Amino acid sequence: MVKDSITTTKDPPMTQFSRRAILATGAAAFATSFLPGRARASDVRLTVSSIWGADKPFQKVVDAFNAKGLGVQVENRFDGDYEAATAKALAGIAAGKAPDLMVTGWKFGYFARRTLGARDLRQIDEARAAAIMENFRPSLVPLVTIDQALIGLPWAMSTPITFINSQLWAEAGLSPDLPENPDTDWLYDAGRKLDAALKGHATYRSALALSNNEWTSQSFIQNAGGFIIDPEGRLALESDAARAGMEAFCAPAHEGLWLPVSGKEQDAAFEAGALAICTTSSTRAVSFPQGPAKAITAKFPGLAGHARNMNSGGNFLAVYTQEAERAQAALSFLEFCASKEGQMIWSEVGYLNTSTHEIPLINAFMAPAEAQLQDGLSAETIWPGKRGLEGQGIWRNWVTRMLTKEVSVAEGLKQASAELALVLAD
Amino acid sequence: MQPGMMKRLVPWLFVGPAVLSVIIFLYGPMIASLVLSVLDWNLLSPEIGFAGADHYEAVLARRDFRQAAWNTVLYCVILIPAQIILPLIFALMIHGLRGSRMAVIYRSALFLPTIVAYSVAGVAWSWLLNPVNGLFNEVLSAFGWPRSRWHTDPDLAILAVSMVTFWKSFGLNMLLWLAALATVPQSLIEAARLDGAGRLRMFFDLTLPLISPTAFFIAVTTLFSVLDDIVGVVDVLTGGGPAGSSTNLLYYLWQQGLGYFQFGQASAVAMMMIAAVLLVTWAQFALVERKVHYE
Repeated sequence: MVKDSITTTKDPPMTQFSRRAILATGAAAFATSFLPGRARASDVRLTVSSIWGADKPFQKVVDAFNAKGLGVQVENRFDGDYEAATAKALAGIAAGKAPDLMVTGWKFGYFARRTLGARDLRQIDEARAAAIMENFRPSLVPLVTIDQALIGLPWAMSTPITFINSQLWAEAGLSPDLPENPDTDWLYDAGRKLDAALKGHATYRSALALSNNEWTSQSFIQNAGGFIIDPEGRLALESDAARAGMEAFCAPAHEGLWLPVSGKEQDAAFEAGALAICTTSSTRAVSFPQGPAKAITAKFPGLAGHARNMNSGGNFLAVYTQEAERAQAALSFLEFCASKEGQMIWSEVGYLNTSTHEIPLINAFMAPAEAQLQDGLSAETIWPGKRGLEGQGIWRNWVTRMLTKEVSVAEGLKQASAELALVLAD
Repeated sequence: MQPGMMKRLVPWLFVGPAVLSVIIFLYGPMIASLVLSVLDWNLLSPEIGFAGADHYEAVLARRDFRQAAWNTVLYCVILIPAQIILPLIFALMIHGLRGSRMAVIYRSALFLPTIVAYSVAGVAWSWLLNPVNGLFNEVLSAFGWPRSRWHTDPDLAILAVSMVTFWKSFGLNMLLWLAALATVPQSLIEAARLDGAGRLRMFFDLTLPLISPTAFFIAVTTLFSVLDDIVGVVDVLTGGGPAGSSTNLLYYLWQQGLGYFQFGQASAVAMMMIAAVLLVTWAQFALVERKVHYE
């Protein structure tokens, strides 16, 4: 009895559908299917596996493309970081369900081409591929050319630059006029002055961090005139230039100016005002200057007496579908990505403008990164060989061992070279 | 259908889905790993080579594998006793407060970290332990003590990861001990007390034998959790570093398989781990179970 009274008094009334309402709804749905930008049943539906979720500018690029109603609808599928996305792609390909396109990290270049079968865009359609690539700076084409195949768009490109906490800098009495081309002598001297001036400061704890990873150490080696892997594909760690670069890289850690930590801890310390200077990805130019550190930016430090040879990082947008129709549809999406409209939307994320379109810098703090791009950027190390992906981890471990004085720089380079040679020869 | 046949079929229908999922998701991958460990195959290439024991030999010769294996032993030596004995001590103290509001508060507070996600715990601890400006170093500095590099120091990384793993997972064992202690009849405790038994004597001669099935269960499951639970903390807190100093075998396996796509070697590591865990578990059953009192 009680139950009955509850159901009759509390349940909301059922919605009433009239025949007129149903007809009106159907007509509206039919009409909107002809409006531009709406998905149609005949559209080719593509999946792009990416490292960005729906809240990131990449989704806006996808949405803008879909709104054009070109007969291709793209779904942005967030698949985690580079490793997770690549693992999922591998599993998908093994199961016969490859993603049509995938945002692929530079370091996976050989793996993408040789194992995952990233398509040569020229093989899909030579004329369209050439037209797409005309939207990009010619100097970047070699970065997306693996085994003579054009394996994608140079999509997201960054480069390490120097971020300085402007408040700590001012409190230490250092000049706000930063050199156009800073070098390690200037940077490390500034670190020493910061340390001397800010002892006992409420937030300051450490002068600088150069990022304990394979990427910025590569910058140091190249700025000293060396290579990790030279342009001929040979390991080149046991050279005088590589040693000079790594000695300059490790010097502040050995001197106590730098406490090597992970990337996320370095970022947290910088944003908290505990770290005065850090060199890291130019993508931080969209966050660090607006944060409590009020960061200002400069180019990555060069080595006095050496010409700079800075490297880039990021990813490329590659096609993996083996079906002809879908591959053509994928090119349609790449055409939009390469267009000025696509690049304008994409520029919000803080990557470098790799295109030939005139796109204003997202903010003035990106200027040093843009200048480095104008100077010319080499690729992030793409590790060759069947076991090449292990190369990055091995090199990163040896970088840490050299930074923490577990081994000397000369010994570290020798042992890293020996271990890498085994892996890369496999 | 005959009633007798129905009677025989019904239990199979009940356990069928569970058995099927165990076969598909546990034994299936185990067999696949065994097969992959003797093949030279990247899952995609039409060329599949037979590698025999090559992957096993290659893995055993690797310095990073030996480091991961040694670290796994160290984690077990540090964490297994800690995760069995310390939760028992806390459980005994809280059991002593049973009936009071403080017992509920302590039990909840100590269990709380268990339900925190590993990713959240790892990030929170990386802030606390941040060598540049983490809370721990700020406290050390306030007392004039030297600052530490914690998990970024190759010599301390294992201890830091162990500490976070212990914090994260000891609550579950404590709860299991508490549940076991609640089953000990108070009449026996009272009788022993009247007979003049001391606290230690009562614990070792009365309480411990009575809760020995739980003790054995905790001993077996803690081994698995120490091998497994660490991976989440390692991944978020240290990434196996610095220079591989905090990695363990399971993290190493994951890195080889899904980071570097070396499925043959990753599967060889998996097979060796399964063999080692089976051996240790068999030893636990052979040596310890006879001391367990189920009645």
